[in-house]
Amino acid sequence: MAIYIQSISQISIQEPLCDNWFESPIYHRQRYVSSIEPNYKQYINPMSSRRMGRILKRAVTTSLNVLQGRKGNEIDAIITATGLGCIENTEKFLYSMLENNETLLTPTYFIQSTHNTISSQIALELKCNNYNSTYVHRGISFESALFDAFLQFKLNKITNALVGAHDEMTKDMFTLYDKIGYWKKGDICVETLRKSETLGSFSGEVAVSSFLSNEKNEDSICSLAGMNILHKPTKEKLEETLKRLLEENNLTLSDIDAVLVGHSGDKENDEVYSKTKENLFNDIPFVWYKHLFGESFSMSGLGFYVGATCLKKNIIPKHLVFDSPKEILNPKHILIYNHFQNSEHSFILLSKC
Amino acid sequence: MNDILVTAMGILTGLGLGKDETLQSLINQNSAIGELKHLNTIHSSLPVSEVRLSDKDMLSLLNYNPQNPLTRTTLLGMLALREALEQAKIDKDTPKRIAFISGTTVGGMEKNEEFYLEFFQNNSKDEYISLHDCAASTQDIADYFGGFDFITTISTACSSAANAIILGANLIKAGYVDIAVVGGTECLSKFHLNGFNTLMILDKEACKPFDKNRQGLNLGEGAAYIVLEGMESAKERGVEPICKLSGYANTCDAFHQTASSPDGQGAFLSMKRALEDSGLSAEDIDYINAHGTGTDNNDSSEASAIKRVFGENPPYVSSTKSFTGHTTSAAGSVESVISILALKNNFIPANLNFKTPMEDVDLVPAQRTIQLPNIKHIMTNSFGFGGNDSSCIFSKII
Amino acid sequence: MEDLILELKKEIIEVLNLEEITPEDIDSNAPLFGEGLGLDSIDALELIVLLEKNYGIKLENAAQGKEIFKSVSVMAEYIKNNRKK
Repeated sequence: MAIYIQSISQISIQEPLCDNWFESPIYHRQRYVSSIEPNYKQYINPMSSRRMGRILKRAVTTSLNVLQGRKGNEIDAIITATGLGCIENTEKFLYSMLENNETLLTPTYFIQSTHNTISSQIALELKCNNYNSTYVHRGISFESALFDAFLQFKLNKITNALVGAHDEMTKDMFTLYDKIGYWKKGDICVETLRKSETLGSFSGEVAVSSFLSNEKNEDSICSLAGMNILHKPTKEKLEETLKRLLEENNLTLSDIDAVLVGHSGDKENDEVYSKTKENLFNDIPFVWYKHLFGESFSMSGLGFYVGATCLKKNIIPKHLVFDSPKEILNPKHILIYNHFQNSEHSFILLSKC
Repeated sequence: MNDILVTAMGILTGLGLGKDETLQSLINQNSAIGELKHLNTIHSSLPVSEVRLSDKDMLSLLNYNPQNPLTRTTLLGMLALREALEQAKIDKDTPKRIAFISGTTVGGMEKNEEFYLEFFQNNSKDEYISLHDCAASTQDIADYFGGFDFITTISTACSSAANAIILGANLIKAGYVDIAVVGGTECLSKFHLNGFNTLMILDKEACKPFDKNRQGLNLGEGAAYIVLEGMESAKERGVEPICKLSGYANTCDAFHQTASSPDGQGAFLSMKRALEDSGLSAEDIDYINAHGTGTDNNDSSEASAIKRVFGENPPYVSSTKSFTGHTTSAAGSVESVISILALKNNFIPANLNFKTPMEDVDLVPAQRTIQLPNIKHIMTNSFGFGGNDSSCIFSKII
Repeated sequence: MEDLILELKKEIIEVLNLEEITPEDIDSNAPLFGEGLGLDSIDALELIVLLEKNYGIKLENAAQGKEIFKSVSVMAEYIKNNRKK
């Protein structure tokens, strides 16, 4: 049972709804970077969009963009990942509640604040009555959402799925995470992020929607060949899981063209990748993306998008290759390896189809 | 065989700590809905179902002195989970692949709202900053017990815990884990108490699900977890199954962010597809533990959907939110545990406070505890904001 | 009364975030809900808060809104007769 990525779309701190970042990435210097917003009017009517915060507009737009006219009930599952949910509306309701001592509160901010608002808004726009769920587990939110779809494909419960990752960052939430060491001090530059000598990264935002199907056609970008997620694995467990994943696809490590990792510039985060490179990956080139897209809980959704895009274009450009200034031509298999605070670890195998 | 067995359960709500206290309260028709005592809010006259344990009490019961602070959501979850893991004979050395999936929406908001302004004024409460999100409770609960191979958090409002059950079952069926510990936890917070208040769906008295004069819901807090296990694993470990999870479904109403469609399309599909998944027919279901919040909209919508699926002679229906209040993200597992207790002890829990039937849909719930020998199959519904609708069917093992 | 109707239209546009709409676009006698402007149950709740915040009128339950919010004219009439601010 194969699973194919049919289409995938993003709005982020790179140019939205296109692959221009692939040739001409923007290198941000600020610690706090908000998404570049497209014109939403062509996707969302004003009576719907009046209630939507930015995160919802991005989610609906990338979803519509990726579905290319498919009707609601033709989609078997809509599964969404978000680390912080609709934090802008959460803050608005919270502030209002605290400032007005629980009086004269209005409902809109509350109802648009729950984490599942994103997934259900998409279903509402599409009028899709099928499976719908939302995963909120920090750095493994996207993998959890993808895994849910993956399992249902394996069990023949679904033939296609819309899987997305959506996260926003407000100024206040940025300030709070700054207090607990999430962000670098001072300006950002790629070399500082690459060297990871200090704690922290820089803040980006995520909106990725991907349409997956069990049927291959001329639109198919690549296949989701396998995946797994582990909680606090030992070194041996990690190795064993990777080996099994490769064996299931009749592959060995030498078939992997690149490992796409969540190297972010944060010393503690990146040490785990260095160690795993020594233990597991040896000479396989590392590829990274957070230097372009920033850090956010569901940022691995953009990693997924980057991996798929490289396979689509048959090249990994040199600005993505971590340990050498050379591009990688005609990649066939990209392994996405992500971890969150060395507690949750995931593998996603993408293969040319 | 591909059966998904339930081999253990744990629960903590306003009805009490543990299955025994919960069962006694249900049979004796003792509701937990009463005065709001712990939460510091101007809306303290609103009836709620609070867990009658302070955070300090819970830490004491756990015999735990953590280095870092824990949220109330986490503590509720720990106590409920402890009961389940002890019954299942699972500890951190159990040589099986075990998943832990927890549903929550409030997460650490109850601490967040207390300290929020302080976060920006000084550093004294910084250790609470990372606890605000949904994952914090799942992570802290998992770290406390140890031994899990996969953990994650679901947030689909009032169907979160039901969806945790569904993911757990799928993980086992697909062969990724042997055991899935699934459910949800939620504590009361000013944030969602006020949120529901702005929607004008809170009853100023004890809720009356399915009653013509119902005025809304009462919020509750609590946690419940179920241990799901494949047959082989249960046999190898020598644990007796309680019942099996025979079917489930997740659908979306896709009508409105907070209101359910009048004909209950999402609810209808959820129940219908759960039946299809189980291979059972509508006539096989002996009891429906309804979502039954007591709101004008839900109860009409759900009742319509029940008639559409089950016809003019539906099975017994009751909403035990008249006992526990609406435990929101935990409701799916709280009510599954209650339903399974009913299944094993052969009774239908009462739908308290019902007096007058609705006029728009002809559905009269069970108004008192009813002894029903030979209950075989029970369905439980959880319908959340955003139209996230899920249904699970539990069956006796014959 | 005309002043109140205009003021109300502006407040409705602001509170419900009707970005593309001006007071001139709103017919004072057209239904606000269902057809006409096409507002929904959440908008009704927002208007209930508006009544309290701006005019000191507190409604006890959402159902009361159905009659009061039939149109801008009906709403203005109700406010004129019941306002405390």
